[in-house]
Formats: sequence, C-alpha cells, structure tokens
Amino acid sequence: MDNGAKAKKEVSYQASIAVGSTVCKDIKLQGTVSIGTLTIIHPKASILAENGPIVIGDGNIIEEQSVIANKLPADANGEPQTLFVGNNNMFEVGCVCEAKSVGDNNVLEAKSYVGPEVEISNGCFIGAACRLTLPEKLPENLSVCGSNHLRKIMSDRPAPQTSQKDHLAKVLPNYHHLKKPRQLTGS
Amino acid sequence: MELPDVFYNKPSYVEMASGNKVSRQTLLCGSQNIVLSGKVIIQKGAIMRGDLANVRTGRYCILSENSVLRPPFKKLTKGVAFFPLHVGDHVFIGENSVVNALQVGSCTYIGKNCVVGRNCVLKDCCYVEDNTVLAPDTVVSSFTKYGGSPGKCVAELPECMQELMTDFTVNYYKHFVPEKI
Repeated sequence: MDNGAKAKKEVSYQASIAVGSTVCKDIKLQGTVSIGTLTIIHPKASILAENGPIVIGDGNIIEEQSVIANKLPADANGEPQTLFVGNNNMFEVGCVCEAKSVGDNNVLEAKSYVGPEVEISNGCFIGAACRLTLPEKLPENLSVCGSNHLRKIMSDRPAPQTSQKDHLAKVLPNYHHLKKPRQLTGS
Repeated sequence: MELPDVFYNKPSYVEMASGNKVSRQTLLCGSQNIVLSGKVIIQKGAIMRGDLANVRTGRYCILSENSVLRPPFKKLTKGVAFFPLHVGDHVFIGENSVVNALQVGSCTYIGKNCVVGRNCVLKDCCYVEDNTVLAPDTVVSSFTKYGGSPGKCVAELPECMQELMTDFTVNYYKHFVPEKI
C-alpha cells in the first residue's frame, strides 16, 4: 500500500475522458492522456505518456495489465510526438504496445509486444505472446501468430467487438469505481 | 519430495477460517461471485475477474504472482455472455499466466507465462509447459502435456499424475509459511 501511495505522488497526469467511456479508477495514468468515447478500460491497465501525449480513439477495449506507452523520440524540432491510437482496437490482457501509431480495428492478443519502431495500420491481428520489435509498417489486415511468427494477410479485418463492449459498459459500473468523464488533473 | 519453505509477509496476507491465504495486493473484482473452497493460495498481484462471471476454485489451488484468472467471453446466437470459470482441486497456475479457460480440471499444472486462450477446456491431470500459448477452444485431454505456441501435445503423463499434483499442492501449502520475526 505504501509503495502505491508513493508512486501516485510521484507521477502526475492530465487526462481528458470523453462522455460514454467506461474507465475504471484502478488504472495507472502518466502524462497527458485523452480517451475517446465508448472506450472501455479495465482495472490495472497502464497508459503511460512518458515521452509525449497519448490520444486514444473511440470504442477501444483495454484489458487488465496491458500497457500502452509513448516511447517516441522527440521530432526534428525537439517537440514531443503524440501517440495516436485509432478506433475499435482491442488490447488484451498483459499486452505491451509501444508502437509509433495504431490504426483502427486491430487486435493485440494477450502478452503480445509491439516495439517502439513499429507502425500498426488497420485491421491487424497480433497473436498471443508474439513480439514485434524490428522497425516496420505493418500492412493492412496482417495476422501474426505462433512461435514462428507466421504472417498472413487476412481477407477481412477482425470482427468488431461491439457486443462485448455493450456488455462490459453495462457490467463494469456495477463492480468498479469509474473515473468521471471530464477534464481531469490528478497527482 | 519435500519442498523448501516459501516465506510470506504475514501482514500482507489475509488468512481465512477455511485456510485460504490471499494477498492484500490482489485484485478480486466482484468478490461475491468468487468461491474459494479452502486452502487456496493467491499471491501478490494476481487478478480474479469475478465481476464478469462466477469463478469457482477447488481446494489447494495456487495462483502465483501476477497471474490472471478471467472468465471467457462467448458470442451466442442470442446476445453475448461471459461464462463461469471452474477450477478444480490441486491446481497450480504459474507466474504471469493468463487463464481464459472455461474449465480447468483437477490436478492440473499450468506453468509460467502461459496464455490459455478463450473457452479452452483443460481436463483433469494435464500439464501445460512454461510459455505455452493455447489457442482458443483447445481441449487438453487428461494425462497429456502441452507445450509450444500454438500449444500442441508434446508428451503423455504417467498415471500417477494425480498423486504427484496432490502431493505438490499440499506440500506447497504446508510450506507456505509466514516470515519468522
């Protein structure tokens, strides 16, 4: 408990949370974070805007223990770069996303890792425990899975999890304290 | 085989009358939906998602640090639901593992850093190696050992698996003792 209180004192954040999102209170925020509407963040997720702000779009699901971090270096003018996460992405339990940018409709399965030099386009599927570390831009609808990191372009993007989002938006407020949707400055 | 003593910090654990030892640094959401049958150890940082659906564990279950037990999500023809997760007796779940299974049978061992996919069924007396990724809807039959990513059957287990796991979990519980001050 002491450690948690100390960590909270050290790390300050500014979060703007849109109306209609479900953001549990028990998450770790750092830096400037903005969260879009219909986004669901489970407890114990971390959004760490270390090197610059993070903007998360609409309808994303971020599950417990997952980490979204901005590790981008400053641009040519020395300004911090913003990490944009698109809409309808799914970040499953324990995934770590340090990507340059994330498009729409992507799925990062449990325990996957995306390094800071990877750009995720749209409709990509990164399988459980896969690690992407080399600099590259993933083509659309790419699926990576297995220990050999087998790649394939899917004919269709992963199905949107609309029904799951509706269900979670109904259930989570019954069990968790939520962050209120407004401009927040915390410490 | 006798296991070495594992010491824990007494004030940071809650001991219940039924013998459960639960760390205070866990996240047990929806605790009214979680049933721990007794002599269960839940270590630091473990997460149990009772808010999504019922979670029931048998006796002598061990949840190691930062493991996640979450009921699986299933799409039905009519609507959606999270399904209740049943864990049998004498089950060991290793560090940093994610268990999304529908059912975990008795006397089962799940190693470290495993991902058990959605709606997997692990029958009694099976073994999942460290760093295994079980694809969604995998059925692991009794007395088999699964490993790799995606998880495949790599070996068969001896018939004494039940005794081995009973022995292991009971011993682990017996040797999970508070620090001497």
